[in-house]
Amino acid sequence: MSASNRKFVLAYLLLVILPLIGLVGILRAGRTVTAPVSIDGLWSLRVDSAQIDSLPCGKALAAIPDKTMAIMQSGKTFVVTIPGGPNLTAAGTLEGTTLRAALVPARESRESCAVGSELSLLASVDRRVDSNVLTGTLSAPNCQSCASVGFQAERQAPPTSKGGH
Amino acid sequence: MPNLFTLVLQITVILAVCRLTGSLFRKFHQPRVVGEMFAGIMLGPSLLGWISPQFSAYLFPPASLGFLNALSQVGVVIFMFLVGLGINPKELKHQSHAAVLVSHVSITAPFVLASLLALYLYPRVSDASVSFTNFALFMGAAMSITAFPVLARILIEGEMMQTRLGTVAIACAAVDDVTGWCILAYIVVLIRAAHDTASIWITLGGILLFVVIMIYGVRFLLQGLERTFQRYGEISENRMAFLLLLALASALCTERLGIHLLFGSFLMGAIMPKEPKFVRYILDRFETITITLLLPLFFAFTGLRTNVGLLKGPTMWFYCGLIILVATGGKLGGSTIAGWLSGMPLREAAGLGTLMNTRGLMELVILNIGLDIKVISPALFSMMVLMALFTTFMTTPLLDYICPDRILRPELTKIPSQDAQLAGSMMKSTGGSAA
Repeated sequence: MSASNRKFVLAYLLLVILPLIGLVGILRAGRTVTAPVSIDGLWSLRVDSAQIDSLPCGKALAAIPDKTMAIMQSGKTFVVTIPGGPNLTAAGTLEGTTLRAALVPARESRESCAVGSELSLLASVDRRVDSNVLTGTLSAPNCQSCASVGFQAERQAPPTSKGGH
Repeated sequence: MPNLFTLVLQITVILAVCRLTGSLFRKFHQPRVVGEMFAGIMLGPSLLGWISPQFSAYLFPPASLGFLNALSQVGVVIFMFLVGLGINPKELKHQSHAAVLVSHVSITAPFVLASLLALYLYPRVSDASVSFTNFALFMGAAMSITAFPVLARILIEGEMMQTRLGTVAIACAAVDDVTGWCILAYIVVLIRAAHDTASIWITLGGILLFVVIMIYGVRFLLQGLERTFQRYGEISENRMAFLLLLALASALCTERLGIHLLFGSFLMGAIMPKEPKFVRYILDRFETITITLLLPLFFAFTGLRTNVGLLKGPTMWFYCGLIILVATGGKLGGSTIAGWLSGMPLREAAGLGTLMNTRGLMELVILNIGLDIKVISPALFSMMVLMALFTTFMTTPLLDYICPDRILRPELTKIPSQDAQLAGSMMKSTGGSAA
Protein backbone atom coordinates (compact mmCIF):
# COMPACT_ATOMS: atom_id res chain seq x y z
CA MET A 1 0.00 0.00 0.00
CA SER A 2 1.42 3.39 -1.02
CA ALA A 3 1.86 6.21 1.46
CA SER A 4 -1.01 8.20 -0.04
CA ASN A 5 -3.31 5.18 0.16
CA ARG A 6 -2.32 4.60 3.80
CA LYS A 7 -3.06 8.23 4.57
CA PHE A 8 -6.43 7.94 2.83
CA VAL A 9 -7.39 4.77 4.77
CA LEU A 10 -6.34 6.36 8.06
CA ALA A 11 -8.27 9.56 7.34
CA TYR A 12 -11.31 7.52 6.27
CA LEU A 13 -11.25 5.47 9.47
CA LEU A 14 -10.86 8.59 11.59
CA LEU A 15 -13.38 10.85 9.84
CA VAL A 16 -16.00 8.41 8.56
CA ILE A 17 -15.97 5.05 10.35
CA LEU A 18 -15.31 6.39 13.85
CA PRO A 19 -18.12 9.00 13.69
CA LEU A 20 -20.49 6.31 12.41
CA ILE A 21 -19.70 4.19 15.47
CA GLY A 22 -20.34 7.31 17.54
CA LEU A 23 -23.70 7.69 15.81
CA VAL A 24 -24.76 4.24 17.01
CA GLY A 25 -23.86 5.32 20.55
CA ILE A 26 -25.84 8.56 20.20
CA LEU A 27 -28.92 6.71 18.94
CA ARG A 28 -28.69 4.31 21.88
CA ALA A 29 -28.26 7.16 24.37
CA GLY A 30 -31.27 8.89 22.82
CA ARG A 31 -33.58 6.07 23.86
CA THR A 32 -33.44 7.36 27.43
CA VAL A 33 -34.35 10.94 26.45
CA THR A 34 -38.02 11.80 26.82
CA ALA A 35 -39.94 14.43 24.89
CA PRO A 36 -42.98 16.41 26.07
CA VAL A 37 -46.35 14.68 25.90
CA SER A 38 -48.05 15.05 22.51
CA ILE A 39 -50.99 17.46 22.34
CA ASP A 40 -50.80 18.31 18.64
CA GLY A 41 -53.98 17.92 16.60
CA LEU A 42 -57.69 18.70 16.47
CA TRP A 43 -59.65 18.47 19.70
CA SER A 44 -63.44 18.28 20.06
CA LEU A 45 -64.55 20.60 22.85
CA ARG A 46 -67.29 19.70 25.32
CA VAL A 47 -68.38 22.78 27.19
CA ASP A 48 -71.60 24.02 28.79
CA SER A 49 -72.98 26.59 26.30
CA ALA A 50 -74.94 28.43 28.98
CA GLN A 51 -71.86 28.87 31.16
CA ILE A 52 -69.52 29.91 28.38
CA ASP A 53 -71.95 32.68 27.35
CA SER A 54 -70.95 34.56 30.48
CA LEU A 55 -67.30 34.84 29.39
CA PRO A 56 -65.90 37.54 27.09
CA CYS A 57 -65.91 36.05 23.55
CA GLY A 58 -68.23 33.41 25.01
CA LYS A 59 -71.05 34.06 22.53
CA ALA A 60 -68.66 33.72 19.62
CA LEU A 61 -67.24 30.50 21.10
CA ALA A 62 -70.71 29.06 21.78
CA ALA A 63 -71.71 29.77 18.17
CA ILE A 64 -68.99 27.53 16.64
CA PRO A 65 -70.87 24.69 14.91
CA ASP A 66 -68.51 21.75 15.56
CA LYS A 67 -66.67 23.18 18.59
CA THR A 68 -63.17 22.13 17.63
CA MET A 69 -59.86 23.51 18.80
CA ALA A 70 -56.64 23.01 16.83
CA ILE A 71 -53.36 22.74 18.71
CA MET A 72 -50.10 23.14 16.81
CA GLN A 73 -47.33 21.92 19.09
CA SER A 74 -43.61 22.63 18.95
CA GLY A 75 -42.10 20.87 21.93
CA LYS A 76 -43.04 22.70 25.11
CA THR A 77 -44.80 25.52 23.28
CA PHE A 78 -48.01 25.44 21.31
CA VAL A 79 -50.44 27.63 19.39
CA VAL A 80 -54.22 27.27 19.67
CA THR A 81 -56.62 28.21 16.88
CA ILE A 82 -60.37 27.78 16.76
CA PRO A 83 -61.39 26.87 13.20
CA GLY A 84 -64.61 28.67 12.29
CA GLY A 85 -64.53 30.53 15.59
CA PRO A 86 -63.44 33.97 16.74
CA ASN A 87 -60.09 35.18 15.48
CA LEU A 88 -57.94 34.57 18.56
CA THR A 89 -54.19 34.42 18.77
CA ALA A 90 -53.29 31.97 21.47
CA ALA A 91 -49.81 30.89 22.42
CA GLY A 92 -49.16 28.65 25.36
CA THR A 93 -46.68 26.50 27.19
CA LEU A 94 -46.71 22.90 28.29
CA GLU A 95 -45.18 21.91 31.62
CA GLY A 96 -45.37 18.20 32.25
CA THR A 97 -49.01 17.48 31.54
CA THR A 98 -50.28 21.00 32.25
CA LEU A 99 -51.17 23.39 29.44
CA ARG A 100 -51.32 27.15 29.97
CA ALA A 101 -52.39 29.55 27.23
CA ALA A 102 -53.64 33.09 26.85
CA LEU A 103 -56.28 33.52 24.14
CA VAL A 104 -56.13 37.11 22.87
CA PRO A 105 -58.61 38.43 20.27
CA ALA A 106 -56.87 39.58 17.09
CA ARG A 107 -56.92 43.26 16.10
CA GLU A 108 -59.60 42.78 13.45
CA SER A 109 -61.96 40.80 15.69
CA ARG A 110 -65.62 41.75 15.77
CA GLU A 111 -67.25 43.38 18.79
CA SER A 112 -68.55 40.05 20.11
CA CYS A 113 -64.92 39.23 20.81
CA ALA A 114 -63.37 42.64 21.29
CA VAL A 115 -59.77 43.55 21.97
CA GLY A 116 -59.00 43.39 25.69
CA SER A 117 -61.32 40.45 26.35
CA GLU A 118 -58.49 38.01 26.99
CA LEU A 119 -59.23 34.42 27.97
CA SER A 120 -57.00 32.15 29.96
CA LEU A 121 -56.82 28.43 29.32
CA LEU A 122 -55.55 26.03 31.97
CA ALA A 123 -55.81 22.34 31.25
CA SER A 124 -54.16 19.04 31.87
CA VAL A 125 -53.72 16.13 29.54
CA ASP A 126 -54.36 12.63 30.78
CA ARG A 127 -51.35 10.40 30.12
CA ARG A 128 -53.22 7.21 30.99
CA VAL A 129 -55.42 7.34 27.90
CA ASP A 130 -52.72 8.07 25.30
CA SER A 131 -53.00 11.83 25.83
CA ASN A 132 -56.31 11.94 24.01
CA VAL A 133 -58.33 13.71 26.69
CA LEU A 134 -57.84 17.26 27.93
CA THR A 135 -59.59 18.55 31.01
CA GLY A 136 -59.45 22.17 32.09
CA THR A 137 -60.98 25.57 32.60
CA LEU A 138 -61.45 28.77 30.61
CA SER A 139 -61.40 31.98 32.61
CA ALA A 140 -61.33 35.72 31.98
CA PRO A 141 -58.50 37.35 33.98
CA ASN A 142 -59.75 40.89 33.16
CA CYS A 143 -63.33 40.20 34.27
CA GLN A 144 -63.87 40.12 38.03
CA SER A 145 -67.49 38.96 37.83
CA CYS A 146 -66.90 36.14 35.32
CA ALA A 147 -66.67 32.62 36.71
CA SER A 148 -64.33 29.99 35.30
CA VAL A 149 -65.92 27.54 32.89
CA GLY A 150 -64.85 23.92 32.89
CA PHE A 151 -64.38 22.01 29.64
CA GLN A 152 -63.27 18.66 28.34
CA ALA A 153 -61.72 17.98 24.96
CA GLU A 154 -61.11 14.78 23.08
CA ARG A 155 -58.54 14.41 20.31
CA GLN A 156 -60.21 13.74 16.98
CA ALA A 157 -57.42 11.96 15.17
CA PRO A 158 -54.57 10.43 17.16
CA PRO A 159 -51.16 11.23 15.68
CA THR A 160 -50.73 7.87 13.95
CA SER A 161 -48.89 9.34 10.96
CA LYS A 162 -46.13 10.77 13.11
CA GLY A 163 -42.67 9.36 13.43
CA GLY A 164 -43.76 6.77 15.93
CA HIS A 165 -41.65 4.45 18.02
CA MET B 1 -63.64 23.35 -7.15
CA PRO B 2 -60.84 25.86 -6.61
CA ASN B 3 -61.66 29.52 -6.72
CA LEU B 4 -59.85 30.24 -9.98
CA PHE B 5 -59.68 34.00 -9.36
CA THR B 6 -57.90 33.42 -6.03
CA LEU B 7 -55.54 30.84 -7.51
CA VAL B 8 -54.55 33.02 -10.50
CA LEU B 9 -54.17 36.04 -8.20
CA GLN B 10 -51.91 34.00 -5.91
CA ILE B 11 -49.75 32.82 -8.83
CA THR B 12 -49.48 36.37 -10.21
CA VAL B 13 -48.43 37.86 -6.87
CA ILE B 14 -45.98 35.00 -6.15
CA LEU B 15 -44.31 35.24 -9.57
CA ALA B 16 -44.01 39.03 -9.36
CA VAL B 17 -42.55 39.01 -5.84
CA CYS B 18 -40.19 36.12 -6.59
CA ARG B 19 -38.87 37.68 -9.82
CA LEU B 20 -38.37 41.08 -8.17
CA THR B 21 -36.66 39.69 -5.08
CA GLY B 22 -34.57 37.29 -7.18
CA SER B 23 -33.37 40.20 -9.36
CA LEU B 24 -32.59 42.28 -6.29
CA PHE B 25 -30.50 39.48 -4.81
CA ARG B 26 -28.66 39.06 -8.12
CA LYS B 27 -27.49 42.68 -7.71
CA PHE B 28 -25.81 41.57 -4.47
CA HIS B 29 -24.05 38.68 -6.27
CA GLN B 30 -26.41 36.11 -4.79
CA PRO B 31 -27.97 33.31 -6.84
CA ARG B 32 -31.55 34.17 -7.82
CA VAL B 33 -32.80 31.15 -5.87
CA VAL B 34 -31.78 32.76 -2.55
CA GLY B 35 -33.95 35.76 -3.39
CA GLU B 36 -36.85 33.52 -4.38
CA MET B 37 -36.57 31.53 -1.13
CA PHE B 38 -36.58 34.84 0.75
CA ALA B 39 -39.60 36.03 -1.25
CA GLY B 40 -41.51 32.92 -0.21
CA ILE B 41 -40.88 33.68 3.46
CA MET B 42 -41.93 37.33 2.93
CA LEU B 43 -45.29 36.19 1.55
CA GLY B 44 -45.97 33.97 4.55
CA PRO B 45 -47.04 34.65 8.13
CA SER B 46 -43.50 35.78 9.01
CA LEU B 47 -43.89 39.10 7.16
CA LEU B 48 -47.07 39.65 5.11
CA GLY B 49 -49.24 37.80 7.63
CA TRP B 50 -47.66 39.80 10.43
CA ILE B 51 -47.87 43.23 8.77
CA SER B 52 -51.30 42.80 7.20
CA PRO B 53 -53.15 39.71 8.44
CA GLN B 54 -56.34 40.77 6.61
CA PHE B 55 -54.65 41.06 3.19
CA SER B 56 -52.76 37.82 3.85
CA ALA B 57 -56.03 36.04 4.69
CA TYR B 58 -57.61 37.49 1.51
CA LEU B 59 -54.69 36.46 -0.71
CA PHE B 60 -54.04 33.06 0.88
CA PRO B 61 -57.31 31.81 2.41
CA PRO B 62 -56.64 28.44 4.11
CA ALA B 63 -59.15 26.65 1.85
CA SER B 64 -57.15 27.63 -1.24
CA LEU B 65 -53.77 26.39 -0.08
CA GLY B 66 -54.43 22.78 -1.11
CA PHE B 67 -54.52 23.79 -4.79
CA LEU B 68 -51.42 25.92 -4.47
CA ASN B 69 -49.65 23.03 -2.76
CA ALA B 70 -50.73 20.57 -5.48
CA LEU B 71 -49.33 22.82 -8.21
CA SER B 72 -46.10 23.39 -6.33
CA GLN B 73 -45.65 19.65 -5.70
CA VAL B 74 -46.02 18.92 -9.43
CA GLY B 75 -43.24 21.46 -9.97
CA VAL B 76 -40.99 19.79 -7.38
CA VAL B 77 -41.65 16.34 -8.90
CA ILE B 78 -40.44 17.60 -12.30
CA PHE B 79 -37.59 19.50 -10.68
CA MET B 80 -36.36 16.37 -8.90
CA PHE B 81 -36.43 14.58 -12.26
CA LEU B 82 -34.18 17.34 -13.62
CA VAL B 83 -31.86 17.08 -10.58
CA GLY B 84 -31.57 13.33 -11.15
CA LEU B 85 -30.90 14.01 -14.82
CA GLY B 86 -27.95 16.23 -13.88
CA ILE B 87 -26.33 13.48 -11.81
CA ASN B 88 -24.20 10.91 -13.56
CA PRO B 89 -23.93 7.66 -11.53
CA LYS B 90 -21.01 6.43 -13.69
CA GLU B 91 -19.00 9.49 -12.76
CA LEU B 92 -19.49 8.76 -9.08
CA LYS B 93 -17.69 5.43 -9.46
CA HIS B 94 -14.46 7.03 -10.67
CA GLN B 95 -13.78 9.63 -8.04
CA SER B 96 -10.39 10.59 -6.71
CA HIS B 97 -9.47 9.83 -3.10
CA ALA B 98 -10.10 13.49 -2.30
CA ALA B 99 -13.64 13.41 -3.66
CA VAL B 100 -14.46 10.11 -1.93
CA LEU B 101 -13.16 11.31 1.43
CA VAL B 102 -14.73 14.77 1.20
CA SER B 103 -18.11 13.48 0.04
CA HIS B 104 -18.30 10.83 2.76
CA VAL B 105 -17.06 13.15 5.52
CA SER B 106 -19.42 15.89 4.35
CA ILE B 107 -22.26 13.45 5.05
CA THR B 108 -21.06 11.79 8.25
CA ALA B 109 -19.77 14.91 10.04
CA PRO B 110 -23.02 16.93 9.85
CA PHE B 111 -25.05 13.75 10.34
CA VAL B 112 -23.31 12.80 13.59
CA LEU B 113 -23.25 16.40 14.87
CA ALA B 114 -26.95 16.79 14.05
CA SER B 115 -27.73 13.58 15.94
CA LEU B 116 -25.76 14.90 18.88
CA LEU B 117 -27.74 18.14 18.69
CA ALA B 118 -30.93 16.04 18.52
CA LEU B 119 -30.15 14.78 22.05
CA TYR B 120 -30.48 18.39 23.21
CA LEU B 121 -33.35 19.50 20.97
CA TYR B 122 -35.60 16.41 21.18
CA PRO B 123 -36.97 17.16 24.68
CA ARG B 124 -37.32 20.84 23.78
CA VAL B 125 -38.81 21.14 20.29
CA SER B 126 -40.28 17.69 19.60
CA ASP B 127 -42.96 15.62 21.31
CA ALA B 128 -43.51 12.07 22.50
CA SER B 129 -45.31 10.93 19.34
CA VAL B 130 -41.98 11.08 17.46
CA SER B 131 -39.30 8.56 18.42
CA PHE B 132 -35.80 9.86 19.14
CA THR B 133 -34.29 7.61 16.46
CA ASN B 134 -36.56 9.01 13.73
CA PHE B 135 -36.01 12.55 14.95
CA ALA B 136 -32.22 12.19 15.06
CA LEU B 137 -32.00 10.42 11.68
CA PHE B 138 -34.16 13.07 10.06
CA MET B 139 -32.09 15.90 11.55
CA GLY B 140 -28.95 14.14 10.29
CA ALA B 141 -30.29 13.70 6.77
CA ALA B 142 -31.59 17.28 6.63
CA MET B 143 -28.27 18.74 7.74
CA SER B 144 -26.09 16.58 5.49
CA ILE B 145 -27.77 17.49 2.20
CA THR B 146 -26.03 19.74 -0.34
CA ALA B 147 -27.95 21.65 -3.00
CA PHE B 148 -26.44 20.18 -6.15
CA PRO B 149 -28.23 22.60 -8.55
CA VAL B 150 -27.45 25.75 -6.51
CA LEU B 151 -23.85 24.65 -6.22
CA ALA B 152 -23.67 24.17 -10.00
CA ARG B 153 -25.16 27.65 -10.46
CA ILE B 154 -22.60 29.26 -8.13
CA LEU B 155 -19.72 27.44 -9.84
CA ILE B 156 -20.91 28.52 -13.30
CA GLU B 157 -21.45 32.15 -12.27
CA GLY B 158 -18.01 32.22 -10.63
CA GLU B 159 -16.46 30.46 -13.66
CA MET B 160 -15.14 27.77 -11.33
CA MET B 161 -16.70 24.74 -12.99
CA GLN B 162 -13.39 23.75 -14.59
CA THR B 163 -11.20 24.27 -11.55
CA ARG B 164 -10.11 21.41 -9.31
CA LEU B 165 -12.31 22.93 -6.60
CA GLY B 166 -15.31 22.95 -8.95
CA THR B 167 -14.94 19.38 -10.18
CA VAL B 168 -14.41 17.95 -6.67
CA ALA B 169 -17.31 20.02 -5.27
CA ILE B 170 -19.78 18.97 -7.96
CA ALA B 171 -18.85 15.27 -7.62
CA CYS B 172 -19.16 15.45 -3.82
CA ALA B 173 -22.52 17.24 -4.04
CA ALA B 174 -23.81 14.53 -6.37
CA VAL B 175 -22.74 11.80 -3.90
CA ASP B 176 -24.26 13.78 -1.02
CA ASP B 177 -27.58 14.17 -2.79
CA VAL B 178 -27.85 10.50 -3.76
CA THR B 179 -26.84 9.36 -0.25
CA GLY B 180 -29.03 11.95 1.45
CA TRP B 181 -32.09 10.88 -0.53
CA CYS B 182 -31.42 7.18 0.19
CA ILE B 183 -31.19 7.91 3.93
CA LEU B 184 -34.34 10.02 3.80
CA ALA B 185 -36.20 7.29 1.89
CA TYR B 186 -35.22 4.83 4.62
CA ILE B 187 -36.44 7.21 7.35
CA VAL B 188 -39.76 7.78 5.58
CA VAL B 189 -40.23 4.01 5.27
CA LEU B 190 -39.44 3.59 8.99
CA ILE B 191 -41.91 6.28 9.97
CA ARG B 192 -44.74 5.32 7.66
CA ALA B 193 -44.44 1.63 8.52
CA ALA B 194 -44.03 2.24 12.26
CA HIS B 195 -45.35 -0.52 14.56
CA ASP B 196 -45.35 -3.05 11.73
CA THR B 197 -42.06 -4.88 11.10
CA ALA B 198 -43.54 -7.00 8.30
CA SER B 199 -44.69 -3.85 6.52
CA ILE B 200 -41.13 -2.43 6.63
CA TRP B 201 -39.70 -5.54 4.96
CA ILE B 202 -42.45 -5.61 2.34
CA THR B 203 -41.82 -1.93 1.59
CA LEU B 204 -38.03 -2.38 1.42
CA GLY B 205 -38.45 -5.46 -0.81
CA GLY B 206 -40.86 -3.54 -3.04
CA ILE B 207 -38.46 -0.62 -3.34
CA LEU B 208 -35.57 -2.94 -4.21
CA LEU B 209 -37.65 -4.64 -6.91
CA PHE B 210 -38.73 -1.26 -8.25
CA VAL B 211 -35.12 -0.01 -8.45
CA VAL B 212 -34.07 -3.21 -10.27
CA ILE B 213 -36.94 -2.80 -12.78
CA MET B 214 -36.01 0.86 -13.32
CA ILE B 215 -32.30 0.17 -13.83
CA TYR B 216 -32.57 -2.97 -15.97
CA GLY B 217 -35.95 -2.45 -17.65
CA VAL B 218 -36.98 1.19 -17.97
CA ARG B 219 -33.40 2.30 -18.61
CA PHE B 220 -33.36 0.08 -21.71
CA LEU B 221 -36.43 1.94 -23.04
CA LEU B 222 -34.75 5.26 -22.33
CA GLN B 223 -31.65 4.24 -24.27
CA GLY B 224 -33.99 3.78 -27.24
CA LEU B 225 -35.06 7.40 -26.79
CA GLU B 226 -31.46 8.52 -26.80
CA ARG B 227 -30.77 6.54 -30.00
CA THR B 228 -33.78 8.24 -31.65
CA PHE B 229 -32.40 11.62 -30.62
CA GLN B 230 -28.97 10.80 -32.01
CA ARG B 231 -30.51 9.67 -35.33
CA TYR B 232 -32.94 12.57 -35.90
CA GLY B 233 -31.55 15.31 -33.65
CA GLU B 234 -34.93 15.63 -31.92
CA ILE B 235 -37.61 13.65 -30.12
CA SER B 236 -41.26 13.66 -31.18
CA GLU B 237 -43.93 15.14 -28.92
CA ASN B 238 -45.38 11.69 -28.37
CA ARG B 239 -42.05 10.39 -27.10
CA MET B 240 -41.62 13.44 -24.84
CA ALA B 241 -45.09 12.81 -23.43
CA PHE B 242 -44.10 9.17 -22.90
CA LEU B 243 -40.99 10.32 -21.01
CA LEU B 244 -43.08 12.59 -18.80
CA LEU B 245 -45.52 9.74 -18.21
CA LEU B 246 -42.66 7.47 -17.15
CA ALA B 247 -41.39 10.10 -14.70
CA LEU B 248 -44.86 10.56 -13.21
CA ALA B 249 -45.50 6.79 -13.10
CA SER B 250 -42.16 6.30 -11.33
CA ALA B 251 -43.16 9.00 -8.81
CA LEU B 252 -46.52 7.31 -8.24
CA CYS B 253 -44.81 3.93 -7.70
CA THR B 254 -42.52 5.25 -4.95
CA GLU B 255 -45.45 7.04 -3.30
CA ARG B 256 -47.44 3.82 -3.43
CA LEU B 257 -44.46 1.88 -2.06
CA GLY B 258 -44.58 4.09 1.01
CA ILE B 259 -41.69 6.47 0.41
CA HIS B 260 -42.47 9.68 -1.46
CA LEU B 261 -43.32 10.89 -4.95
CA LEU B 262 -40.04 12.75 -5.21
CA PHE B 263 -37.84 9.65 -4.89
CA GLY B 264 -39.42 8.14 -7.99
CA SER B 265 -38.93 11.21 -10.14
CA PHE B 266 -35.34 11.62 -8.87
CA LEU B 267 -34.56 7.96 -9.70
CA MET B 268 -36.11 8.35 -13.14
CA GLY B 269 -33.81 11.31 -13.82
CA ALA B 270 -30.79 9.48 -12.42
CA ILE B 271 -31.21 6.46 -14.76
CA MET B 272 -31.66 8.59 -17.89
CA PRO B 273 -28.87 8.36 -20.52
CA LYS B 274 -26.27 11.03 -19.82
CA GLU B 275 -25.04 12.10 -23.25
CA PRO B 276 -24.69 15.89 -22.72
CA LYS B 277 -26.58 16.98 -25.90
CA PHE B 278 -29.45 14.63 -25.09
CA VAL B 279 -29.57 15.88 -21.50
CA ARG B 280 -29.55 19.49 -22.72
CA TYR B 281 -32.40 18.73 -25.15
CA ILE B 282 -34.57 17.20 -22.41
CA LEU B 283 -33.76 20.01 -19.99
CA ASP B 284 -34.73 22.66 -22.55
CA ARG B 285 -38.19 21.15 -22.77
CA PHE B 286 -38.86 20.95 -19.05
CA GLU B 287 -36.73 23.52 -17.32
CA THR B 288 -38.16 26.94 -18.13
CA ILE B 289 -41.76 26.34 -17.06
CA THR B 290 -40.63 24.40 -13.98
CA ILE B 291 -38.14 26.96 -12.77
CA THR B 292 -39.94 30.16 -13.70
CA LEU B 293 -43.50 29.13 -12.85
CA LEU B 294 -43.77 26.08 -10.63
CA LEU B 295 -40.79 26.39 -8.26
CA PRO B 296 -41.72 29.91 -7.09
CA LEU B 297 -45.06 28.40 -6.03
CA PHE B 298 -43.12 25.88 -3.95
CA PHE B 299 -41.09 28.68 -2.35
CA ALA B 300 -44.30 30.53 -1.55
CA PHE B 301 -45.94 27.44 -0.12
CA THR B 302 -42.87 26.77 2.01
CA GLY B 303 -42.97 30.41 3.12
CA LEU B 304 -46.62 30.06 4.09
CA ARG B 305 -45.64 27.16 6.36
CA THR B 306 -42.68 29.05 7.82
CA ASN B 307 -43.61 31.22 10.77
CA VAL B 308 -40.71 33.06 12.31
CA GLY B 309 -43.23 34.28 14.91
CA LEU B 310 -43.13 30.78 16.42
CA LEU B 311 -39.56 31.48 17.54
CA LYS B 312 -40.66 33.35 20.64
CA GLY B 313 -38.06 34.52 23.10
CA PRO B 314 -34.29 34.24 23.24
CA THR B 315 -34.38 30.49 23.97
CA MET B 316 -35.95 29.61 20.62
CA TRP B 317 -33.52 31.92 18.80
CA PHE B 318 -30.70 30.24 20.69
CA TYR B 319 -31.89 26.86 19.34
CA CYS B 320 -32.02 28.37 15.86
CA GLY B 321 -28.48 29.72 16.21
CA LEU B 322 -27.31 26.36 17.48
CA ILE B 323 -28.81 24.62 14.44
CA ILE B 324 -27.06 27.03 12.07
CA LEU B 325 -23.78 26.58 13.97
CA VAL B 326 -23.95 22.79 13.96
CA ALA B 327 -25.06 22.62 10.31
CA THR B 328 -22.24 24.92 9.24
CA GLY B 329 -19.65 23.35 11.53
CA GLY B 330 -20.45 19.84 10.35
CA LYS B 331 -20.64 20.54 6.65
CA LEU B 332 -18.14 23.37 6.19
CA GLY B 333 -15.78 22.18 8.93
CA GLY B 334 -15.96 18.49 8.02
CA SER B 335 -15.44 19.07 4.30
CA THR B 336 -12.58 21.51 4.93
CA ILE B 337 -10.71 19.07 7.15
CA ALA B 338 -11.29 16.19 4.71
CA GLY B 339 -10.16 18.30 1.75
CA TRP B 340 -7.06 19.44 3.59
CA LEU B 341 -6.18 15.88 4.66
CA SER B 342 -6.60 14.82 1.03
CA GLY B 343 -3.81 17.18 0.02
CA MET B 344 -5.68 20.35 -0.94
CA PRO B 345 -4.21 23.68 0.19
CA LEU B 346 -6.07 24.92 3.28
CA ARG B 347 -7.78 27.87 1.54
CA GLU B 348 -8.97 25.71 -1.31
CA ALA B 349 -10.20 23.08 1.15
CA ALA B 350 -12.07 25.83 3.01
CA GLY B 351 -13.57 26.96 -0.31
CA LEU B 352 -14.72 23.39 -0.90
CA GLY B 353 -16.25 23.31 2.58
CA THR B 354 -18.06 26.58 1.88
CA LEU B 355 -19.51 25.20 -1.35
CA MET B 356 -20.63 21.96 0.32
CA ASN B 357 -22.43 24.03 2.97
CA THR B 358 -24.89 25.28 0.31
CA ARG B 359 -28.30 23.77 0.99
CA GLY B 360 -30.80 25.85 -0.95
CA LEU B 361 -33.94 24.34 -2.39
CA MET B 362 -32.99 20.71 -1.67
CA GLU B 363 -33.13 21.48 2.04
CA LEU B 364 -36.59 23.03 1.66
CA VAL B 365 -37.80 19.92 -0.18
CA ILE B 366 -36.57 17.65 2.62
CA LEU B 367 -37.96 19.91 5.35
CA ASN B 368 -41.39 19.94 3.73
CA ILE B 369 -41.35 16.13 3.70
CA GLY B 370 -40.37 16.18 7.40
CA LEU B 371 -43.22 18.53 8.26
CA ASP B 372 -45.69 16.47 6.20
CA ILE B 373 -44.82 13.26 8.02
CA LYS B 374 -44.73 15.31 11.25
CA VAL B 375 -41.26 14.21 12.32
CA ILE B 376 -40.41 17.88 12.90
CA SER B 377 -42.56 20.49 14.61
CA PRO B 378 -43.62 23.78 12.94
CA ALA B 379 -41.15 25.79 15.05
CA LEU B 380 -38.26 23.46 14.20
CA PHE B 381 -39.31 23.63 10.53
CA SER B 382 -39.04 27.43 10.68
CA MET B 383 -35.61 27.23 12.33
CA MET B 384 -34.37 24.79 9.69
CA VAL B 385 -35.71 26.98 6.86
CA LEU B 386 -33.77 29.91 8.33
CA MET B 387 -30.70 27.66 8.49
CA ALA B 388 -31.15 26.74 4.79
CA LEU B 389 -31.45 30.41 3.87
CA PHE B 390 -28.47 31.44 5.99
CA THR B 391 -26.13 28.70 4.74
CA THR B 392 -27.07 29.33 1.10
CA PHE B 393 -26.80 33.10 1.49
CA MET B 394 -23.35 32.93 3.08
CA THR B 395 -21.82 30.78 0.32
CA THR B 396 -21.03 33.40 -2.33
CA PRO B 397 -19.52 36.13 -0.11
CA LEU B 398 -17.57 33.63 1.97
CA LEU B 399 -16.26 31.91 -1.15
CA ASP B 400 -15.21 35.27 -2.64
CA TYR B 401 -13.33 35.99 0.58
CA ILE B 402 -11.69 32.58 1.03
CA CYS B 403 -11.01 31.69 -2.58
CA PRO B 404 -10.44 34.75 -4.75
CA ASP B 405 -9.70 34.14 -8.45
CA ARG B 406 -5.92 34.31 -8.03
CA ILE B 407 -6.03 31.23 -5.82
CA LEU B 408 -8.24 29.17 -8.10
CA ARG B 409 -6.91 29.95 -11.56
CA PRO B 410 -3.59 28.09 -11.28
CA GLU B 411 -5.58 24.97 -10.48
CA LEU B 412 -7.56 24.95 -13.73
CA THR B 413 -7.89 21.40 -14.99
CA LYS B 414 -7.79 20.64 -18.68
CA ILE B 415 -10.93 18.50 -18.91
CA PRO B 416 -13.90 18.99 -16.65
CA SER B 417 -15.61 15.88 -15.33
CA GLN B 418 -18.75 14.66 -17.07
CA ASP B 419 -20.74 15.55 -13.96
CA ALA B 420 -19.50 19.13 -14.23
CA GLN B 421 -20.39 19.24 -17.93
CA LEU B 422 -23.87 17.91 -17.18
CA ALA B 423 -24.42 20.27 -14.30
CA GLY B 424 -23.20 23.14 -16.45
CA SER B 425 -25.50 22.02 -19.23
CA MET B 426 -28.35 21.81 -16.75
CA MET B 427 -28.06 25.40 -15.65
CA LYS B 428 -26.91 27.36 -18.69
CA SER B 429 -30.21 28.21 -20.31
CA THR B 430 -32.11 29.27 -17.21
CA GLY B 431 -30.69 32.76 -16.98
CA GLY B 432 -29.52 32.31 -13.46
CA SER B 433 -32.86 31.24 -12.11
CA ALA B 434 -32.03 27.60 -11.51
CA ALA B 435 -32.65 26.41 -8.02
